[in-house]
Amino acid sequence: MSQNSSRSLGKGSSPPGPVPAGIIRVYSMRFCPFAQRTLLVLKAKGIKHEIININLKNKPDWFFNKNPFGLVPVLETSQGQLIYESVITCEYLDEAYPGKLFPEDPYKKAFQKMILESFSKVPLLSKESLVAVRNGEDCSAQKAELRMVFSNLEEILFRQKTTFFGGDTVSMIDYLIWPWFERLGSFEIADCVNHTLKLKLWIAAMKKDPTVSALLVEEKTLKNFIHLYLQNSPEACDYGL
Amino acid sequence: MASYYLSPSHGLRNFSELGEAGSSPPGPVPAGIIRVYSMRFCPFAQRTLLVLKAKGIKHEIININLKNKPDWFFNKNPFGLVPVLETSQGQLIYESVITCEYLDEAYPGKLFPEDPYKKAFQKMILESFSKVPLLSKESLVAVRNGEDCSAQKAELRMVFSNLEEILFRQKTTFFGGDTVSMIDYLIWPWFERLGSFEIADCVNHTLKLKLWIAAMKKDPTVSALLVEEKTLKNFIHLYLQNSPEACDYGL
Repeated sequence: MSQNSSRSLGKGSSPPGPVPAGIIRVYSMRFCPFAQRTLLVLKAKGIKHEIININLKNKPDWFFNKNPFGLVPVLETSQGQLIYESVITCEYLDEAYPGKLFPEDPYKKAFQKMILESFSKVPLLSKESLVAVRNGEDCSAQKAELRMVFSNLEEILFRQKTTFFGGDTVSMIDYLIWPWFERLGSFEIADCVNHTLKLKLWIAAMKKDPTVSALLVEEKTLKNFIHLYLQNSPEACDYGL
Repeated sequence: MASYYLSPSHGLRNFSELGEAGSSPPGPVPAGIIRVYSMRFCPFAQRTLLVLKAKGIKHEIININLKNKPDWFFNKNPFGLVPVLETSQGQLIYESVITCEYLDEAYPGKLFPEDPYKKAFQKMILESFSKVPLLSKESLVAVRNGEDCSAQKAELRMVFSNLEEILFRQKTTFFGGDTVSMIDYLIWPWFERLGSFEIADCVNHTLKLKLWIAAMKKDPTVSALLVEEKTLKNFIHLYLQNSPEACDYGL
């Protein structure tokens, strides 16, 4: 089902060669939510690409020549151009390839970016909540903040009376926030959407989207990955291979 | 337009004044122009004003007293921050970078490059700059409290070295090439404030960056909106004391 089944490259590995003409390369990691944004956009737009997975617990030195921050995702073109930061990679792909995922209307596009801004603390809050739970600490503050963000998203869906955040079909904003909703169960914050009914309907609709379902990772697999990753295991990124 | 820029800010009136519970919300935006809620000394709002001016967009400015915000302003932006754009159709756009990107898309005369990679590169430069607003502010507050600001200044120097490296590699005057473009305007407001924030020494060893600063000061858009260092310093003094008069300093 998924073409993304290659072992990650770690310290001591040789740097990959240039990107062949006609495709774009993405440096990724099979379980990274930020990289998943880029993979969703590549798939949704039908862009020919190759994936090189990076062992984030044992990074190759050459990877810092691709992104000085040493993070995934990173895009590399056949001309050797490098683009990093997940949102910047998604915006680049939307502009460089046909089939726009962002709306054409400048206000509607700005509105999607404002939704993304309101969502911006969710990655950190989810991670803090998970780490707290695993350390036997209190996570109620993080969960309260998460519920507030989700209430805000609920309000938007309620006001618009649409299935997705950009209207009645899936668009860029849905893909940009999806990866953290895929991880509600594995991050143990599923109860944070208990009172947001439209948001739960959106989650169900997203799971039926062909792009989302093609890249969906089972909760059990994510949990096992997380367990290894939080222990800093160099095997985490290749779990299941 | 000049008189609007110099208008006193809107805020909550003193409850002791008879018959006034607060300033009245402004009416709808007339057709053919766009409105920006701003504050005369806010670096984030200055981004939006620079883009409006550079693109020659007809606009009106309503200044907000950020130390005494009117209740109605939270209907414009639930975060209560400037800048906010309001169109004649009542559409509201906030977050300084989002407002600038909106203006670039909605009006002719692109400030961002057309090439998707060059545009992405400008956004990556902006990302590398992203900690400067907080670091500058932290450094200033530390200095005024007699505390150590060497950590913030060290981080600022690192960011500025990174920017220097880009200018050196490209061999261009501006960050997008030989003419000014979006990225230059997006980062400019904090370089205008190096003196008033007392971090001017952080560019001591970045020669190309200093040449860029000089070139920016000669840009017609930048120089039209430039605020004197002395004025900024007096504003900062009042603002850090939470004075409700700060935002109208000089009027």
